[in-house]
Amino acid sequence: MKPPKISIDNLYVTYPGRKRAEPVEALGGVTLTVTRGELVCIVGPSGCGKTTLLRVLAGLEQATGGSAHIQHDNSARPVKAMVFQGSGVFPWMTVAENVAYGLRLQGVSRQERAEMARHWIAEIGLERFAQSYPAQLSGGMQQRVGLARAFACDPEVLLMDEPFGALDAQTRLILQQVLLRQWERDAKTVVFVTHSIEEALTLGDRIYLMSARPGRLLHEVAVPFARPRDAIALRSDPRFSQLFAEIWELLRDEVERARLAEELTE
Amino acid sequence: MPKNRWLSFVSPLLLLALWELAVQAGWLNRVFYPPPSTVFVTMGELLATGQLAQEVGVSLMRIGLGFLLGGVPAIVVGLLMGISPPFRALFQPIAAAIYPVPKIALLPLIIVVLGLGESSKIVTIAISIFFLIVLNVAASVLQVEARHFEVARSFGAKPWDLFWTVALPASLPGIMNSIKLGMGFALTLIVGVEFVGADSGIGWLIWRSYELYAIDRMIAGLVAVALVGWLISVLLDELERLLVPWQRPGARPPGRSIRRRLLLWWRAVRPWSYTAAVIPVVLGGSIAAYDSNLNLGLLALTLLGASAIQAGTNLVNDYYDYRRGADRPDAPGTNAALLRGELTPRQILRGGLVAFGLGAAIGLYLVSVAGMFILWLGLLGMLVGFFYTAGPFALAYNALGELAVFIFMGPVIVIGSYYVQAQAVPLAVVLAALPVGCLVAAILHANNLRDLEHDRQVGKYTLATLLGRGRGNIEYYLLIGGTYLSLIVTVLLGIAPWLTLISIATLPPALRLVRIVAAAREPGALQPVLRQTAQLHLQFGLLLIVGWVGAALVAGMV
Repeated sequence: MKPPKISIDNLYVTYPGRKRAEPVEALGGVTLTVTRGELVCIVGPSGCGKTTLLRVLAGLEQATGGSAHIQHDNSARPVKAMVFQGSGVFPWMTVAENVAYGLRLQGVSRQERAEMARHWIAEIGLERFAQSYPAQLSGGMQQRVGLARAFACDPEVLLMDEPFGALDAQTRLILQQVLLRQWERDAKTVVFVTHSIEEALTLGDRIYLMSARPGRLLHEVAVPFARPRDAIALRSDPRFSQLFAEIWELLRDEVERARLAEELTE
Repeated sequence: MPKNRWLSFVSPLLLLALWELAVQAGWLNRVFYPPPSTVFVTMGELLATGQLAQEVGVSLMRIGLGFLLGGVPAIVVGLLMGISPPFRALFQPIAAAIYPVPKIALLPLIIVVLGLGESSKIVTIAISIFFLIVLNVAASVLQVEARHFEVARSFGAKPWDLFWTVALPASLPGIMNSIKLGMGFALTLIVGVEFVGADSGIGWLIWRSYELYAIDRMIAGLVAVALVGWLISVLLDELERLLVPWQRPGARPPGRSIRRRLLLWWRAVRPWSYTAAVIPVVLGGSIAAYDSNLNLGLLALTLLGASAIQAGTNLVNDYYDYRRGADRPDAPGTNAALLRGELTPRQILRGGLVAFGLGAAIGLYLVSVAGMFILWLGLLGMLVGFFYTAGPFALAYNALGELAVFIFMGPVIVIGSYYVQAQAVPLAVVLAALPVGCLVAAILHANNLRDLEHDRQVGKYTLATLLGRGRGNIEYYLLIGGTYLSLIVTVLLGIAPWLTLISIATLPPALRLVRIVAAAREPGALQPVLRQTAQLHLQFGLLLIVGWVGAALVAGMV
């Protein structure tokens, strides 16, 4: 049997305190695995270290203890790509250049790049804006560009850090649909960080609940809804509200604790 | 446009009127406060004698060289400082310590080291802007959001990629700003530097006028400085628009990488059409080489200036042709970038004006070297270039295209180029330029013959539409015949050296062209004629130049 796609083993991350402040323990021993083609959501109160977990996987942060590993199956494909909070598109590149960015770094030829960019821009419905700069797009459109940029370089694992967090409810629903459709089509492994329980229930196969800082895994919830899913129809499923209530019950104390900790540090 | 825009014209005019009134009424002493009318007249005189152009040219040259010497390394060092912490630690204290020193205070020291010559002025400018630009560029790199670097790294960017795809483009707006700051600084400084120990330049003109108590000239100098400063800031804004298109809200930019955009402009200015300007410029230089001697640097500047004006003419023409709807999408002369929407008509027009500006700057320098004659020639050439398709009486639309091209792309350019070298206009040079004038007119006429039906439809008058196909063909034969005839006559008159007769080697292709034109029954058959006439112009011109230069070399050896 193949090893799991992502294995995180007893992961600790501690930020050194600035000046005389105490060092901050962001992650306090997280262990989890993700199998191939799975969409796993991580939910927790704000500041619980969800983003830190993702950044370690993306190689932007060093572990202070334990390990985090992504199995690279096909060396011709990049192992991971990240979709950032608030999109992170480059303001000095056009939509097409942004979408092709990962491909450009991989050394894909200009012509091929243009073709792939065109395909993915069509996929996110921004054909008219291919030659526009991000400043001319709305927040939701920019976020779609961020999605297309990650999808375009065809990574084995997608790391998504609250990509829809800053959007209004309608745009959010639409983009969730876009993501579901894409994911169902090419079965990537996805780690999706969010603070929204609804979003996690809508998208995930499994949900990990995280504690307030230092982040630890509290529970693992298996999401029973069949695929393919419809983000809107799910809302009227009675199990949806039941699961929502259960998860909320589990998280409530943590949210409270996180808020207290925030107030204390202020 | 805001409705109250006209008010911003009214206030300065009102101020000038008040000033004038106060002097005329005797409220202000005319000696200390010369009225605007006097200043205006003085400026006219300074322009007419060429002194103003010369002093401005000298000052601009100093600023330009100082910018090259100080600005380019400053951008490199600033980028390095922004990117590399060790480099920053090493360099920051020095830059921060020297930056606040008023740079004009360094002038005595620099004069002690370098003497009173040109280099002390240039170095002063270079040093002053160097630290300013270094610190600003470094700061703009440091201000790039860390998030952008993280995004790039998450996609596997190496340090080299980080530099080219993030650090450099993200700090370009800051770099542009620091260049603008530096330019303002340089302008202030050049005047100060020229107050002390200079015998030329706009600052010197102001100081000298003060010493002579010629206050009207002093104010004229001030106005000139203000105008130059304004012109430079307009040019820099334009450059910024080209380099930092993403900061323009609303407008749909061409949206290409910088290299792509340069390529786009390169095609838009149609460089292959420059042989029409390059040949006569080089010819003028070659004749000067035969007559007396040749300054290659001046010839290079003349070439650059002429190319810039040619580019400006092309772009402005494209703009007006587009506006009038005269060019067809499939016509080879049409600006493809414009029709494909890669460049907007406004961009084309602005690009044309910028090219004219560059041509004018080089022209001013040449004026300062060679004299006023170049100014009149240049102004006339630009006017003709502009009104070739623009304005209510566009030359090209009123059957004057061939004549204008014959005069201005032939004798006038040759004379100008010759004058820059030799400061004289012998009639012999005018005559020696006639073959080239005939050929360039033939190129245009070939174009008009091909477009005859189309031009009639859109109501464009050319000699071809007026003469009709048959007589139009005869005009073409005459132009080709005139080329060789005028060459032979100038040789027989002893004006051109015998060696120039090697241009007759191009006669066979010329005769072939005449046969094609005679046989042509439809526009498509004339398609190759246009291209081949341009080739003939190039080949004939090159051989002619070889003839003159060869004769000059032979004469030098004897």
